[in-house]
Amino acid sequence: MDEAAARDIIVEKLKGKKGKSKFYLKDFYAFFPEEKPRTVKKLVNTMVSEGTLEYWSSGSTTLIGLKGVGKQAHAEDED
Amino acid sequence: MAKHETPLLDQLESGPWPSFVSDIKQEAENRAKNANNVEFQVKQDVCEDILGVLELSYKHGRTHWKHGGIVGVFGYGGGVIGRYCDQPEMFPGVAHFHTIRVNQPAGKFYNTEWLRNLCDLWEFRGSGITNMHGSTGDIVFLGTVTEQLEEIFFELTHKHGQDLGGSGSNLRTPSDCIGEARCEYACYDTQALCHFLTNEYQDELHRPAFPYKFKFKFDGCPNCCVASIARSDMSFIGTWRDDIQVDQEAVAAYVGGEFPPNAGAHKDGNWGPFDIQKEVIDLCPTDCMKYEDGKLEINNKECTRCMHCINVMPRALKKGKETGLSILVGAKAPILDGAQMGSLLVPFVKVEEPYEEITEVIEAIWDWWMEEGKNRERLGELIKRQGFQAMLDAVGIDPVPQHVKEPRSNPYIFWKEDEVPGGWQRDVNEFRKYHQR
Amino acid sequence: MAFVSSGYNPEKPMENRITDIGPKHYEQFYPPVIKANKGKWAYHEVLQAGVLKHVAESGDEVYTVRCGGARLMSVTHIREICEIADKHCDGYVRWTTRNNIEFMVDAEAKVKPLIDDLESRKFAGGSYKFPVGGTGAGITNIVHTQGWIHCHTPATDASGPVKAAMDVLFDDFKSMRLPAHLRVSLACCLNMCGAVHCSDIAILGYHRKPPMLDHEYLDKMCEIPLAVAACPTAAIRPTKVEIGDKKLNSVAVKQERCMFCGNCYTMCPSMPLADTEGDGIVIMAGGKVSNRISYPKFSKVVVAFLPNEVPRWESTTDCIKNMVEAYAAGANKYERFGEWAERIGWERFFDVTGLEFTHHLIDDFRDPAYYTWRQTSQFKF
Repeated sequence: MDEAAARDIIVEKLKGKKGKSKFYLKDFYAFFPEEKPRTVKKLVNTMVSEGTLEYWSSGSTTLIGLKGVGKQAHAEDED
Repeated sequence: MAKHETPLLDQLESGPWPSFVSDIKQEAENRAKNANNVEFQVKQDVCEDILGVLELSYKHGRTHWKHGGIVGVFGYGGGVIGRYCDQPEMFPGVAHFHTIRVNQPAGKFYNTEWLRNLCDLWEFRGSGITNMHGSTGDIVFLGTVTEQLEEIFFELTHKHGQDLGGSGSNLRTPSDCIGEARCEYACYDTQALCHFLTNEYQDELHRPAFPYKFKFKFDGCPNCCVASIARSDMSFIGTWRDDIQVDQEAVAAYVGGEFPPNAGAHKDGNWGPFDIQKEVIDLCPTDCMKYEDGKLEINNKECTRCMHCINVMPRALKKGKETGLSILVGAKAPILDGAQMGSLLVPFVKVEEPYEEITEVIEAIWDWWMEEGKNRERLGELIKRQGFQAMLDAVGIDPVPQHVKEPRSNPYIFWKEDEVPGGWQRDVNEFRKYHQR
Repeated sequence: MAFVSSGYNPEKPMENRITDIGPKHYEQFYPPVIKANKGKWAYHEVLQAGVLKHVAESGDEVYTVRCGGARLMSVTHIREICEIADKHCDGYVRWTTRNNIEFMVDAEAKVKPLIDDLESRKFAGGSYKFPVGGTGAGITNIVHTQGWIHCHTPATDASGPVKAAMDVLFDDFKSMRLPAHLRVSLACCLNMCGAVHCSDIAILGYHRKPPMLDHEYLDKMCEIPLAVAACPTAAIRPTKVEIGDKKLNSVAVKQERCMFCGNCYTMCPSMPLADTEGDGIVIMAGGKVSNRISYPKFSKVVVAFLPNEVPRWESTTDCIKNMVEAYAAGANKYERFGEWAERIGWERFFDVTGLEFTHHLIDDFRDPAYYTWRQTSQFKF
């Protein structure tokens, strides 16, 4: 997979979802139906370590979104 | 004078069992005195506020904690759980009160030097309150502020060579029984395998990889002291496939009353003298033992290794010599579709470094679950939804009668086309030559 | 309270970052006698409640003194454990899966001074710090969850009911008179972080009221699609509500579908469900994880609801004590709680425990329910 293009696709797709800022890993697999889940997982985690994406954890489940986007970031006094 | 009155909690100080209220109070006092001049990085009276907010919960019968989302250390999706108090003005010390999971060493052995280092760190940068240990097995640091998370992680990794545990949709911190370290029943080195797999899968432990949580637990024998069969998506239970070793002299010593049965575990009951027929032979679930003319015989071929006879006479009976482990998959707590026990996937595998036979199974299962699992669907639920056969197919394991308790009681087999001679494509006109419309 | 840096540079989080190093290696924490005899233990014996003797093939012996403790533990308390370990055990100590603390010594002569020391230590409030016990055919420490001390969805406290229950069960922690070991566990809501579903006796926190809806704030605080997706029974849907003259985005809950899990509250703080009267305790019994004699079993619900009675949960502890005594009186040697209940029959179980059988105890949740009804003419009057 072309990594640079894949990064753009991820950012594009996430920006396109109105009213929702946090996504399951599975949602990212769906952006790249041809790729193995493991490959997509690696890229998503790399994008977190680069600061483009960030994790949101419910404790039991982890969601992923664009860094700084979303309601609870502000509601929880964390900005 | 305490900062908050706690008349309800105070009633939990009496009685013989160790009181957590007394313990938090002593921590509160020690922080107030601060004999070692610690430059506390969270509020000095944090423990007073813990007691205060808990007392308020006792008064209301409701929790006063809120969940929090985006806290964690950079690049990790687990190990930290955000927590905020819903009465921050009343209890400013616990307004932010995040949990940190610290990956415990396998077997939960410690030396005091290392424990003291952890205590010093947690007194300095957190509330000084812990769980030894959390339900999954981690050392849990209970309560710090957001600004301290990276500082704590930095000190843990740089000064103490210690990493965080798992939370969220990750591999959770694996845990094990005491195993060979101090138990004659252990059929493999649980600590070695637990430690190896924990390190092998650090990426899966720290960064979300799966549809939901995934747990490994390691039990050295079928007694299952860490409850792997009920609590882990993948359970590794020690077993053997040859004969139970029998020391007839020691059997005679049990019969003669020289050794206490069940390793002395019934000493305070009035059970009378040991009766090998009643207590061992008759309780054997497969009826594969007999005791005649002072000699114990075991038909090992029929034994299902339930451990009862060995537990009752540990000095006389020992596990076999050809040891290994069974892998069971899919255990989980009830939510949502009911509780599930682990189901047997691999009846026997030898436990030998570099454990390739084991990691192959793990990775095949993960690939299937990552591909097929829905969001928040545990492995056990996927197995139920798609069927045990689908899992065997996906991981390339051949079916054996050991996989089931009994064969299916309905004949509704979904035959696949390639299983039926001639396939499914037929010529209806050819059929009509012999059968009128 | 000046901020003291660890050396971490927030401007450059990746600078000198150490990650993925895992836990400490277990071997450095083994006491010498453990290290020398690992994998070569010959047999063990419980000398008295709380004291184990393990003998190695080499003839080496290790004596373990097990004591109970609250798993909620301060660093002051851990330092005291360290002090004891230094004094008696050459600086080594371990914890068990069930939150007990184990002190190990390599000679019998060292056992009594250690026990005397442990039993002499009390908290200012009067409770023991390190009661010795928790072995064999008795009741060991309760494994539990966080409860009101730290969780956002508990339906009961954890540390409090555990303290209250262990006070009542203390004699059985200190002795081994029961037919087999009896494991008690507590989880403070149905998500069961404490996995109590296979315990001889389980204390489970349970909510009975669906979440309230803070419509005015919901759309500001929460992402509605996430709240909707969080519901395991699909009881939540997006909707619009009128507050004053404003039309707001919010959610609606199909209340009869709610199973009270609190997952929506996790995702959306505007959907709180905790309630003083609604919340309380379910008692389950008869589970086990061991493969000994019979297969592992799930615990069954034997009391549908008991209120949260702070601070000592008397109805809950009375119920547990009553079940323990009925089991102690009726079970055969080696028979676990669930094996006893199955042998005498659950109808007889309700008889001998005096627990009331109510309609709530008949399973009506999805597929497995059918398999719990009686499909035979065999039953006891």
